[in-house]
Amino acid sequence: MERDLIRPMGEEYQEYLRDESRSAGWAESISFPRTAEEVAAVLRRMSAQGTPVVFQGGRTGLAAGASPRGGHIMNLSRMDRVLGCRRQGEDFYFTLQPGLTLAALRKMIAGKSFQTQGWSAQSLEAYAAFCRAPEQFFTPDPTETSAALGGMASCNASGARSFYYGSVRRYISALQIVLADGDSLRLRRGERFAQGRQGLLTTEGGRQIAVPIPGYRMPAAKNASGYYAEDDMDLIDLFIGGDGTLGAITELEIRLVPLPSAVWGAALFFDQEEKALRCVRLLRGEGEQGRALNLRPAAVEFFNGDALRILRRQRQAGGVFAQIRPIPEQYETAIYAELHSETEEDAVARLLGLGRAMELAGGREQDSWVARSQAELDQMMFFRHAVPESVNMLIDRRKQKDPTITKLGTDMSAPDWALEEIKAVYRRDLEEQRLESAVWGHIGNNHLHVNILPRDAEDYRKGQALYGRWAQAVAQMGGAVSAEHGVGKLKAGFLRTMYGDQAVRQMRRLKKAFDPQFLLNRGNLFEPEENQ
Amino acid sequence: MKMIVCVKQTPSTNQVQLDPETHTIIRDGRQSTVNPFDTYALEEAVRLKERLGGQITVMSMGIPAAARLLREAISQGADRGLLLSDRAFAGADTLATSYTLALGARQIGEFDLILCGKMAIDGDTAQIGPELAEHLGIPHISNVQEILECSERELLCRKRTDYGTQILRMKLPGLITVDKGINEPRMASIAGVRTSLQAPLDCLDAAQTGADPARIGLKGSPTQVVRTFAPERRGQCVRLPNDEDQAAQALLALVREKQGGREKGEDA
Repeated sequence: MERDLIRPMGEEYQEYLRDESRSAGWAESISFPRTAEEVAAVLRRMSAQGTPVVFQGGRTGLAAGASPRGGHIMNLSRMDRVLGCRRQGEDFYFTLQPGLTLAALRKMIAGKSFQTQGWSAQSLEAYAAFCRAPEQFFTPDPTETSAALGGMASCNASGARSFYYGSVRRYISALQIVLADGDSLRLRRGERFAQGRQGLLTTEGGRQIAVPIPGYRMPAAKNASGYYAEDDMDLIDLFIGGDGTLGAITELEIRLVPLPSAVWGAALFFDQEEKALRCVRLLRGEGEQGRALNLRPAAVEFFNGDALRILRRQRQAGGVFAQIRPIPEQYETAIYAELHSETEEDAVARLLGLGRAMELAGGREQDSWVARSQAELDQMMFFRHAVPESVNMLIDRRKQKDPTITKLGTDMSAPDWALEEIKAVYRRDLEEQRLESAVWGHIGNNHLHVNILPRDAEDYRKGQALYGRWAQAVAQMGGAVSAEHGVGKLKAGFLRTMYGDQAVRQMRRLKKAFDPQFLLNRGNLFEPEENQ
Repeated sequence: MKMIVCVKQTPSTNQVQLDPETHTIIRDGRQSTVNPFDTYALEEAVRLKERLGGQITVMSMGIPAAARLLREAISQGADRGLLLSDRAFAGADTLATSYTLALGARQIGEFDLILCGKMAIDGDTAQIGPELAEHLGIPHISNVQEILECSERELLCRKRTDYGTQILRMKLPGLITVDKGINEPRMASIAGVRTSLQAPLDCLDAAQTGADPARIGLKGSPTQVVRTFAPERRGQCVRLPNDEDQAAQALLALVREKQGGREKGEDA
């Protein structure tokens, strides 16, 4: 079977050498398995040959986690079926293959339009209940909806709404993992815990694996940097955010939550960034005033003046971006807050609270846009997504002149106390180096995507140096070098900066327990051992 | 300039969900919204008010919950609301609805211009605006795409027809229905939402409007909707495997299956 599955890399497969990070690799062969058995068969063969394997889903990752470094590409995008539904109390769970995209999943949830052929009677019964139940949703919302669920699990993906709901980790209740030797693990949340930093897992083939959990302390910030490691942890969490280094995720069970009856969004504009930051603290419920407001937003996003200026230019340039609503010149910063409420009254009360927070922070509540209908929320989404899209277009134009230029986008988070501090570091360094940039992102979690827009190779070099410096600054503050994109290959150096050499050795030891030959997703999180 | 804007409550989604067991439409109380075409009418009125001064009353016939939509319209620039709400209005077709709205407009008193959306996204009739004008005995222009000039006495506008563009002048008081694309409706600000909560909103029942009971609701409707259903999907999508060989085989099998079916059909 595996002979037919494994194909030599030909011209037709060139696109699989790269992912959205725009870094290209090389490989000798490729496969597109459809079942866990096929995954196991291919892995057994690669293991026997000692061939490295890189896993791919939607290839939307920004950290080069899915770009190969030789060996075999296992593309899981054809494993895109939903296998069943489960109901527990009022909660609904769906079992999926890893190649299913977020867009497809959302469509099925919203339209209650799952393909149920081949489901068990129990699944069908649960599904019928799902169809009758109030509308549900899957909370993780990374911007790129062509992301595959397996990839989202592997980098512990988030999105704007994770400010309130948390990252994808919280919504994964079970995993099937196929290991490098073709054996497999089935893990259900709440069943297998470590004792301190030692775990023990039994494979489906009956093999026992002693799991040495790294000893580091994870940052008290939004985090997708390296293995989850904690005393007495649930061992399923090792594989979520594991960058695919321990095994292939061949099945996931996800949990949905009821969709709130009112989802409202508001863009809040300020003439000074300082006011916006003050408003963020109030939105987060900090201080006496923040606690009294008790706003509990689902998302708190940020766009700096440079980002708004890029939007204004794009709007004038016309085309699809002409739809962006006009942003008055005096608006220097925007905060987007989303409110999820069970009742209209609560939504109104909290919306007025947002206005109050604006005023307390020094803004004016008339400088805001309120989105209450789906059409208005869609417009708001268009506005938010137009920022990264515009920046990508700008970079692509510059790349035509100088192919060495690519976008430098950070994904670091800081602890809550450091919000103004990290923002000041970014601002000072960018001004000092006279670099063009735009800053936006998930400011509720002190998680900003600083995007350096190099004009030439010299700018690019300066930007890279800054990126490294910020990784150190963030690590010193107790933040994370990757908050949602994962570490992949591009940020392996930053992970070392964040946790230190000893932690990297411990991470290697953990990988070795599952993948003794270091074959899977080699180069993700850390370089393979020098003597390998 | 005194203006009236008519709005209708329509479903917020065009995605109809069916229960797989009962095959009935799943209604789980998701929000309804202002008919999108009416938002253009409101925005056009607000722009006229900004230029010429005046007052905008936003009017709707609907269930009591439609008051929320009137407040929403006020948060976007209208000044006051009028809701015509009575069980006796239920089941109205366009004739009974436009009659009822005309009574509402008379209750509001003097007006210079009534603005409506071109049509509603649920009924798609595009009849309410013109019928309302007829009930009130005022001129109307439908499908307006741009207001070129406007005063309290007359209005000059551009409308597209099936055969070209017309520039039309109309004496006021009058009524226009607007097409989408005439403007870009603004979003409310939080300050606007705050204002809307305290703004005057009147609610009148059938008796208060002085309606003739024989001309409202189901009784006053010469036309009736017999059945509503989601269109059946005629085309069927079959996904072929991504693998070329398997795809070719699957396609061949499909073609043979269809051929077989047709041959059998011909035999019969």
